[in-house]
Amino acid sequence: MARGGESPILFDIFFFQQLVNGVAIGLVYALMAIGFTLIFGVLNVVNFAHGEVYMIGAYAGLLAITAFAPPLFVVVLIALAAGALTGFGLERIAFRPFRRFRDEASLKSKAMREATLLSSLAMSIIAREAVEIIMGSNMQPIPQQYLLLQPVQIGPLTFASGQFLIFGVSVVSLAALQWLLNRTRIGLSIRAVANNPVGAMYVGIDTNRTIVATFIIGSMLGAVAGILVGLYQGTIFPGMGFTPGIKAFVAMVMGGLNSIVGAVACALILGVSEALATNFIAQGWADLIAYSFLVITLVFFPTGLFGAARERI
Amino acid sequence: MNVLEVESLVVRMGQQTILSGVSLAVPQGGIVSVLGSNGVGKTTLMRAISGIYRAASGSVRFLGDDIVRWPPHRIVAAGLAQAPEGRQIFSNMTVGENLRLGAGPRSLAAAAGDLARVFGLFPVLQDRLAQKAGSLSGGEQQMLCVARALMAQPRLLLMDEPSLGLAPKLVRQIFDLIATIRAAGTAILLVEQNARAALRVADTAHVMESGRIVLSGPAKELATDERIRSAYLGGHIHRSEA
Repeated sequence: MARGGESPILFDIFFFQQLVNGVAIGLVYALMAIGFTLIFGVLNVVNFAHGEVYMIGAYAGLLAITAFAPPLFVVVLIALAAGALTGFGLERIAFRPFRRFRDEASLKSKAMREATLLSSLAMSIIAREAVEIIMGSNMQPIPQQYLLLQPVQIGPLTFASGQFLIFGVSVVSLAALQWLLNRTRIGLSIRAVANNPVGAMYVGIDTNRTIVATFIIGSMLGAVAGILVGLYQGTIFPGMGFTPGIKAFVAMVMGGLNSIVGAVACALILGVSEALATNFIAQGWADLIAYSFLVITLVFFPTGLFGAARERI
Repeated sequence: MNVLEVESLVVRMGQQTILSGVSLAVPQGGIVSVLGSNGVGKTTLMRAISGIYRAASGSVRFLGDDIVRWPPHRIVAAGLAQAPEGRQIFSNMTVGENLRLGAGPRSLAAAAGDLARVFGLFPVLQDRLAQKAGSLSGGEQQMLCVARALMAQPRLLLMDEPSLGLAPKLVRQIFDLIATIRAAGTAILLVEQNARAALRVADTAHVMESGRIVLSGPAKELATDERIRSAYLGGHIHRSEA
């Protein structure tokens, strides 16, 4: 980035703003990537409907706003609740029917991976089309008073108020997730099933309940990411989950598939790289960054940047 | 009174019948051992009792309930824990987290008594509490595996090949431990390749061959049975008796 030590670019205000923008969008990718990573951890499958969970979170927030104009934190809570419900339903409809056996061979089997790949993809199409039929395919504007684009001046820098919301909610969510995974029984169970599903059965962990909890938690984070972006960018539409879903998926793969720390770090790298890339290349090319990262990771770091210690069979 | 009664248990995998009608019982506070060479279905029997494999027919009665259709977590909660073959510990998690998971839904405070008991049996685990379980030595991992099962306050402990891959000194330690656990009132169903040591610690023993029990009796009698000697004890028993 800095071409030689004398380059002033590191002290450029525009550069710094872009860095902040990049971290904000990176945090959104991170919230989504955690959902992918948690579910991949317990089931070894990718939930292709995760982008629609994000979209549903945004629509749930929007519906709440237009219906009874609640305060902002209630909007976030409603998105979280919508995410929890969506995750619960998704597991029941698209994942549980393909998980019929208890032994280790079928618990994380390839057949189940392929079946759920298609079933979750089908659910994502159904969800997108359903929202399109009910709400229309056009962009839904966020009412002015909820839009988080008020400029906040700090010294020479200008931030959007939505960025503070994204930072605040993301940090709280990540901290809550750490607490959950390390201190609570259900969090320990999620990690246990991810680490050794057969061992989890031997210690009396209810695998089904743990998987449902994983879907609920991952989908809550995805849904909250959706409403944050909706409020920040001001528009909500049925296909809004696709691009961030791909980015979050790339972050998960780069992070080593089942490392949460890795996924969050790679999501931030991705967000910042995209924002900075607009300094040098046209905005439209920023998406190319994510795909280049994916290809580079898969070719040169097949276990991901943080996945060296993977010991999954 | 029997803690566990297995009746004509049949387990099939696809077209293959792995267990073809196994029956055995474990009395309260007793040690029952199942012997047999590799691939005769000993581990399948253990997994079927713990609910990990579904039985095609037969019954498993534990403390009076027929648990044969119960899911594994319900069986553990009822007081039947297993220290499985291959240990199956959570290698990416700490020793403390492994033990906490073993305690089930009870809070750590509620399980404090069990934790103290487990540390009494395995002082080394207390020193390693914050260490990743995967970084323990093989013997320590085996101890963690047994300790984790004991955290569930089992009335019956299934132990599948607890001495597998351990140095002779550790093997002796494990068998001493089995006697200690029984002395504390927990019944044990033990699957072992080390027939000599198993027969010494057990009250009753069963010999399995290709999915069925072919020989049963008090452990002391089996230890001197000519068929057992030639098949499972090699020349060892002669030497030890000499």
